[in-house]
Amino acid sequence: MGSEGFGPRIAFTIQNIPGIGDIPVSETVTVTWLIIAVLFVFSIIVTRNMKKEPKGLQLVVEQLVSTINNLTKQNMGERNYAWAPYVGTLLLFIGISNIIGLLGFRPPTADLNTTMCLSITTFVLTQVFGVKSKGLGGYTKGFLQPMPFLLPLNIVGELANPISLGFRLFGNISAGVIIMSLLYGALGSFTEMLFGLTVPLLQAGIPAVLHIYFDLFAGLLQSFIFTMLTMVFISGAME
Amino acid sequence: MSIDIVNSSLRLGLVSPDWTFVFQLINTLILYLILRKFLFGPVTAFMEKRENEIKNQIQAAKNLDLEAQQLKADYEAKLIHADDEGKDIVKKYTQRAENRAFEIVKAAETEVDTMKLNAHRELERERVKAVNELKGQISELTILAASKVVEKDLNEADHKELINKFISEVGETQWQN
Repeated sequence: MGSEGFGPRIAFTIQNIPGIGDIPVSETVTVTWLIIAVLFVFSIIVTRNMKKEPKGLQLVVEQLVSTINNLTKQNMGERNYAWAPYVGTLLLFIGISNIIGLLGFRPPTADLNTTMCLSITTFVLTQVFGVKSKGLGGYTKGFLQPMPFLLPLNIVGELANPISLGFRLFGNISAGVIIMSLLYGALGSFTEMLFGLTVPLLQAGIPAVLHIYFDLFAGLLQSFIFTMLTMVFISGAME
Repeated sequence: MSIDIVNSSLRLGLVSPDWTFVFQLINTLILYLILRKFLFGPVTAFMEKRENEIKNQIQAAKNLDLEAQQLKADYEAKLIHADDEGKDIVKKYTQRAENRAFEIVKAAETEVDTMKLNAHRELERERVKAVNELKGQISELTILAASKVVEKDLNEADHKELINKFISEVGETQWQN
């Protein structure tokens, strides 16, 4: 904990909790709350007055929901249709988190705690539903395939999934955050050096291109990759 | 327990597992429940309901169409049948009317013949009657004339001669019709 570096700022601290002590609440958490609030209000508004003939916002929402439903059906099969809300939650939360940097917030996904939380959730669900659909015996036997001596490799491979999943997302987004903040710092310094201005003029315009790449392109791509891999892992364990 | 926002300028480590993990776990669960209850649930249910409604409507329309086509075929068949029947009826009645007309003409002819015959008979009867009447009147006249002659002066010889003459004349003369 310090005042330097690229970690998330502490928004506030809950102090003196009996038996635990202080709990710092970082901006990762507060931005997540903001996203939850926005999605909650959005959900309420768009589902409040649905018409038989969709128009405007309802059309967008129906398209969004049916796209996620179809994506789930395609990747997990018709009978695993019930996973659509989880898939949608991942897609919307990670997607919005990744592009919220455009509004000046720190993306919650630029925090390893968030990405690992999501990937470990997926990992746990994978194991639980694997055991549920195959039975404990069938599930354990899967680790001895194709040869029993590959057991350690299978276990490592299974454990590597959530780690790679979490770190991939974290790495992409936090790299974007770090590069963007370095660029903003550099452009501010350049303005001062070249023109002797304290107003960082060069910060206008130039970072836009990199924002498009790091926030929009990489951000949306990573949210899609995370969601697709989650579906593949879970449906793979259930088959 | 209190909330402190004094050290908000401090940063957590970039790669450091901390309490954020617990917060995010809870946040994810909450977000999942919210989205499932308020977004995916209602929207999916709504779309499925609408899809079913449209499916039903299309099915109903198909059924109606089928029914209409069936009815149309029925009516067309009936129409053709009715046309044939109408023609038959017209033909039948034309035939009947012709027969009837023929019968009437024939009956009229027969009646006329009968009436002609009757008229002839009547005429004949009247003529015979008239002749007979005329005969009677003539003989009366003759007797009258004869008695007038007798009243004047008639001797035996004249009387005799007259009667003979008369008788002979009556016997020789033929009545003309």
